[in-house]
Amino acid sequence: MYANFDLHLPKDLSAALAILGDAGDDAKVMPLAGGTNLIVDIRARSLTPAALVGIGDISHLRGIDVTNGQVVMGGKTTVSDILRSPELTDRASSLVDSARVFGGQMVRNTATVAGNICYASPAADLVPPLLVLDAEVTLERREGERTLPLSEFYLDYKRTARRPDELLTRITWPARSSDSVDLFYKLARRKGDAITIAGIAVALGVADGKCTRARIALGAVAPIVMRALEAERMLEGETLTPELIEAAAHQAAQAASPVDDLRASGKYRRHCVQVLTSRLLTQAWRRLS
Amino acid sequence: MSETIAGSRRGANVEFRQVGMALPRIDAPGKSHGKTRYAGDHVMPNMLHAKVLRSPLASARLRRIDVSKARELPGVACVLTREELSGRLAPTDIAGQTGRKRLATDQPILVNDRVRYQGEPMALVAAETVVIAERALELIEFDLEPLPGVYDPFDALKPGAPIVQGTDNVVAKYKVRKGDTEAGFAAADVIIENTYCTQFIEHAFLEPEVGLAWVDENEVINIRVSTQVIEHFRFIADAVGVPHNKVRILGSLVGGGFGGKEDVTVEIYLALLAKATNRPVRLCYTREDSFFGHGKRHPFTLTHRTGFTRQGKITAWKVDMTADAGGYVFLSPYVLLYATVAAPGPYRVDNLHVDARAVATNNMFTSAFRGFGAAQACIAHEQQMDEAAKTLGIDRLELRRRNFLRTGDLIATGVPIESAVWSDECMTRAWEALGERTPDDGPIKIGRGVAAYQQSYGRITWLHDTSEAWVGIEMDGTVVVRSGVTDIGAGQVSALAQIAAELLGVHLTDVAVYNSDSSTTPLAGTTTATRALYMTGNAVRLAAEAVRERLLRRAAQEFEVAHGKVDMADNRVFVADHPERSMALKDLVAVCASEGVHRSELVMFRAPFTGEIDPETGQGRVHPDYTYGAQAVEVAVDTGTGEVTVLKSVGAHDVGLAINPDAVAGQIEGGAAQGQGYALSEELRYEQGQLTSTSFSEYLIPTAMDVPEYKAIILESRSGVGPFGAKGIGEPALTPVAPAIANAVADAIGVRIFDLPITPEKVVNALQRLGN
Ligand SMILES: Cc1cc2nc3c(=O)[nH]c(=O)nc-3n(C[C@H](O)[C@H](O)[C@H](O)COP(=O)(O)OP(=O)(O)OC[C@H]3O[C@@H](n4cnc5c(N)ncnc54)[C@H](O)[C@@H]3O)c2cc1C
Repeated sequence: MYANFDLHLPKDLSAALAILGDAGDDAKVMPLAGGTNLIVDIRARSLTPAALVGIGDISHLRGIDVTNGQVVMGGKTTVSDILRSPELTDRASSLVDSARVFGGQMVRNTATVAGNICYASPAADLVPPLLVLDAEVTLERREGERTLPLSEFYLDYKRTARRPDELLTRITWPARSSDSVDLFYKLARRKGDAITIAGIAVALGVADGKCTRARIALGAVAPIVMRALEAERMLEGETLTPELIEAAAHQAAQAASPVDDLRASGKYRRHCVQVLTSRLLTQAWRRLS
Repeated sequence: MSETIAGSRRGANVEFRQVGMALPRIDAPGKSHGKTRYAGDHVMPNMLHAKVLRSPLASARLRRIDVSKARELPGVACVLTREELSGRLAPTDIAGQTGRKRLATDQPILVNDRVRYQGEPMALVAAETVVIAERALELIEFDLEPLPGVYDPFDALKPGAPIVQGTDNVVAKYKVRKGDTEAGFAAADVIIENTYCTQFIEHAFLEPEVGLAWVDENEVINIRVSTQVIEHFRFIADAVGVPHNKVRILGSLVGGGFGGKEDVTVEIYLALLAKATNRPVRLCYTREDSFFGHGKRHPFTLTHRTGFTRQGKITAWKVDMTADAGGYVFLSPYVLLYATVAAPGPYRVDNLHVDARAVATNNMFTSAFRGFGAAQACIAHEQQMDEAAKTLGIDRLELRRRNFLRTGDLIATGVPIESAVWSDECMTRAWEALGERTPDDGPIKIGRGVAAYQQSYGRITWLHDTSEAWVGIEMDGTVVVRSGVTDIGAGQVSALAQIAAELLGVHLTDVAVYNSDSSTTPLAGTTTATRALYMTGNAVRLAAEAVRERLLRRAAQEFEVAHGKVDMADNRVFVADHPERSMALKDLVAVCASEGVHRSELVMFRAPFTGEIDPETGQGRVHPDYTYGAQAVEVAVDTGTGEVTVLKSVGAHDVGLAINPDAVAGQIEGGAAQGQGYALSEELRYEQGQLTSTSFSEYLIPTAMDVPEYKAIILESRSGVGPFGAKGIGEPALTPVAPAIANAVADAIGVRIFDLPITPEKVVNALQRLGN
């Protein structure tokens, strides 16, 4: 493998933001986190960055905290960190589930949440859970920071709202109580270390036997990880019945726009969106009642 | 997890002390401590690094190739193309030991005019660093004129198809005409006909191809390389144009072969570059190079027509099979022959008709892969047996039992099977070991499957296979074994040490084995065809027995007892009935040495030699012997998503005798995993000859998350032709796995998927067809 690029290893966030800021809109200067997407692409020559800004040494970007009813996760948090976090087991079981079926051990140890989000693969496994948890992302640049819902972060296939000089520093979401359940299922052609064919997350909230909050996120079946908004609306305010769940799952499958690729046909993907959405909604509802 | 069930001790005149014990293999400490130096771990001062330029097109004419810019790049030592090679060819046939002319299989070392498959090598570069070599590849300009290609063997057989090889693309044909199939079908109550398809498979060894070559002061081209076959030195010398004794191959422990390192890989490139530059040259394939660098497993299309009586007796069997040979011949004729011999499996079929052909296309060339055609044959005959059982309403195991071969029955090629056929015992035990059936759970349906097989061990008998080994005892009573055998990770060398330790009364750790050097270790043939233990194990046994015999004779004199009353164990020699009358082995050896008693022996072991089979009837001997066994599996199928989970998987094989049961269990477990990938997830896909599944993110071998705890059941009939009655297990361990899984999936969902791999999507489609 050969590749030519400058490697910056800033010691703190402001130094990192300064380097990115100097590069301005130059997308050839890229943040480097775990490198599990970036290095693969550089090796395959599908990416030829001029410079990489390593953020590995910025320790306060890593970690998970629960304060004031908010879960706050640093962008540099690794997939393994998610699995090791006692805070998350109860508060974000869909995210923990997706971390469990993410890559192999070596990849989990180095792959970061911000990398997963910013690479903007439609098959990114952490994104469907974060979407159903109503996560927000904080982007920082030399000039300041902004926070936006993750659902507004993705513009199109591998295009995001992030400016080239911004770092994703935090992911936050409201910590929920026991009247809410979130679940994730990864469908792939094998169980370990495989690229997702359909990654489905659902979250339901309940009060007085009625669904108060419904979230359905679909991975690998559209140009971006998408919410099935129409299907969600069908459920909110209702008591979920098998018929209603089936109808919502059908609606979610219709909303997807899957492609044919080496791993699966679009038709099969759509079928699985329906099957899995229905299963996960059924399970989630059963746990709440 | 394994258990061993010993048969009778028939034929065993030695009381075993080492053989049959699960001793830690002698290669284990080096590997587990990271001390083992594989071929890629060797470097030399002043070494160059090589790279291969490959054709991006599958069918083309090389109009122009211009390497001037690459040669000008600082740090580039050498660039070779057709200009320098002036049409030099490399044979792609099996490494011969007979000196006879081989099949006409030659391939230009570098593309001369025509490109026949994607990835065919066009130029070689040697440079000071890998990076410079990579840059040099990019500076090579070439002009390829696309030619019409043919990418399906059935298309390649049509009149007017582009010709890839020979005059009609047929690179090999075999037939069996045994008994009277017409009459057999007439006598049938039920006739079952189906077509089964298998896919291209990648060996996916851990260690991609790698080697290091240098020319020494005697003009010998030395090549240290990861290979199954050090005896390619003859091919390599012929290809490069030097005498046979001027090429030396040094093997290393191999990080996986599975047949993918049976053909020449990097050796000729290294030899050419080392010779041209007079500097050491290293060539290490990346995984991408490896996908293009060695032949794949043949996809087969097999149509079976089988007649049965109501009672489930086979009356006639007709098999038609077509294999995709890809762009060059390589070992396709032999693979096809194995598939032909194995076509009816471990069953007695008096009326058999087989037509088989291997057809050249512009796909990647195909060659050896563990199972070697017999695996593809098994995928078909075992699914066919299940389909028949379903139609006949007879239990699947029972139907097999009613048709299994018995010792003395004639196999497909009309010769009697001489060793034990424990197919039923193996199948029954494997099935029983599945235990209680896991219950269905809503959309999750459970299914079970079994498959039995017949797989040869040892090479084709008209290749006149031989193997040499030297065994000697040192002055301190330690033992040395020298043999050219290569160890491809299955414990080949350790098994030889265990045999020598057994026969010379020492511990395994007292034996040193020097192997895999084509110049200094006696040539032992290939580590392929499940032959290493059979052939070299016998050579070591015979050599060790000769040394043992001399030592015991001398000891008998010393003890003043009759010859035959003396035994040896634990580094001592003693009177068998009076073990207190003993002496240290080293003292006996000292006596022998001072008297000039020969303390070593060089032995050549010869397999049975025959002529070829009758080309019209396919009748005659093809192999020394066969291994029999079975795999039983339980799977869970998610009928919603089509995902298949293997819950239980048991291999039971009659290995004749297990020299080291742990090593045998390792083979069985590895075969179970490799066969699972074959059944469910692995597939190299070519579109118009272009590989589209180019990495391990698309080519999916099972991970630890995908496999259950495999179970190995070892049966020992002591009836094989290997040392102490051993048979072979390397290839057999894989052969029944994929069809057992296919049968289990069909059992779970009530519908069969006739083409491998059984992907979740195919399962869903099959269920939807069933629903409509
Ligand atoms: C063998 C293997 C298996 C894999 N399995 C999975 C899997 O199962 N599921 C899955 O979803 N993915 C998988 N991946 C993909 C990859 O591991 C993930 O997407 C991972 O989360 C990327 O994180 P990273 O830290 O390695 O990112 P990097 O490769 O370092 O960066 C990825 C992208 O994000 C940008 N970036 C990184 N950090 C920041 C930041 N803080 N702010 C702004 N931009 C940033 C980089 O510039 C780059 O464009 C796998 C990859 C490999 C090699």
